[in-house]
Amino acid sequence: MIDCDVHNSWASARELLPYLDPYSRDCLERGELPGGRDSFPHAHRPWLHPEGFERTDAVPPGGGPPGSDYGLMCEQLLDRYDLEYAILTGDEAIEVSTLANAAFASALARASNSWTIDRWLSLGDDRLRASLVVAPQDPAGAAAEIRRLGDHPGFVQVLVSSGAQRPYGDPFYWPIWDAAAEVGLPVAAHLGGQGGLNAHPHGCGPPTFFYEAHALLCETGMGHVASVICHGIFERWPSMRFVLIECGVAWLPALLWRLDADYKALRKETPWLRRLPSEYARDHIRLSTQPLEDPPDRAHLHAALEAIDGRHTLLYASDYPHWDFDAPDTLKLPAGWQERVMGENARDLYGLTRRAGDAVAVPA
Amino acid sequence: MSVGASGERRVRVCAARELEPGAQRIVSVRGREVGLFNVAGDLYALHDRCPHRGGSLCRGPLTGTTTTDEDGRTPVYDRAGRILRCSWHGWEFDVTTGRALVDPRIRARTYPVEVVDGDVYVVLRRDEPRLDPDA
Repeated sequence: MIDCDVHNSWASARELLPYLDPYSRDCLERGELPGGRDSFPHAHRPWLHPEGFERTDAVPPGGGPPGSDYGLMCEQLLDRYDLEYAILTGDEAIEVSTLANAAFASALARASNSWTIDRWLSLGDDRLRASLVVAPQDPAGAAAEIRRLGDHPGFVQVLVSSGAQRPYGDPFYWPIWDAAAEVGLPVAAHLGGQGGLNAHPHGCGPPTFFYEAHALLCETGMGHVASVICHGIFERWPSMRFVLIECGVAWLPALLWRLDADYKALRKETPWLRRLPSEYARDHIRLSTQPLEDPPDRAHLHAALEAIDGRHTLLYASDYPHWDFDAPDTLKLPAGWQERVMGENARDLYGLTRRAGDAVAVPA
Repeated sequence: MSVGASGERRVRVCAARELEPGAQRIVSVRGREVGLFNVAGDLYALHDRCPHRGGSLCRGPLTGTTTTDEDGRTPVYDRAGRILRCSWHGWEFDVTTGRALVDPRIRARTYPVEVVDGDVYVVLRRDEPRLDPDA
């Protein structure tokens, strides 16, 4: 089993100090911070979770935030569910996308990636793989960071927040796609970055309540999917994969139906496309399951998942240690999808080798 | 352990003085994890497994919830110290009934609690499966 969204955290953002250039270090050490001395520089979303967004049983007994204690992560996730791989997505690092100072954002992203190597990828636990966080508002800096560390075997994807200044197919971001294609990594967008510099994540204006906003955060995923397809990202970089993490799943069929219908009439706007939008999605876009929609009648969910060939496009994710954690034994997947969704799709996407002794001969 | 007149089994779990008002603790009762709660002097016990997704219910925070004022728009804090939120997904349960607030048909398993001579006992049904091989 491969878990594609595991949040590893620092106990304090001050752990990044040794990895920063002197100016950025001075800013982190002496400058204004959003949440006190140990907090990470970022603009917070205006919807505050009324209970905090962590699983309350995941607070390490020795202190620090959930996800900062490797031993507890082993106990509650890696060992408990016998994971073959866990794809680490960090925690606050993707929030660099909210900062107006793009150079500082990139400095923090670089520090976070170096910290990830030292703190997590050097543990000697071969189950762990990590995400290379970049600051999308700084495409040149992001591309340089991808080229700096993209060949490190521990990093399996480039990671940005779903909150963005503009959707990710926009030519503004093409240096990032170009660098990712060069080093052979997929680009992933994880739910987050819903504040500060980034465009409003809800099309008709700000919702009021946390859960109202949270349920609507699939909107950012919709915008990115439409954008990367329409701008022809997968024609320009044919081996590229785009991964949406924690943006929900069941909305995708309706969006693709609409894109296909409109493309048939108005393809002249995007003459670089050679296939239907849904065909690009099937081959190039992957979605993490958590939080998988949970209707009273699972047949309704299964119909939506089948419409996007979920058997081959979905990646199991737990979101440990966050409040809407999906345990692997509680997912309501269609019969026969387990092997692919719970592991093989991620193995193919990230090029993860099968360990000796693990099951083989998985049906495609 | 003692066996009552109707065959139920009473298991001593702690001294009553260890459960002050507002207290929340998890004890092992013959192989099962049970959360003990003191709500304004009354003791309650819930099985430490959430009926939603099986998370550790009793490691969640003991809080209150909201109701609305007469205008129907103003949240009013209510049932402080009676509402247990599951540690995984935050579903709310009233510890005095075990019922989920979002749907009272969903119930966490509750156990009767007795205090005898300063000791707290959790009462298991006669047909309760014996989970602890050493018991």
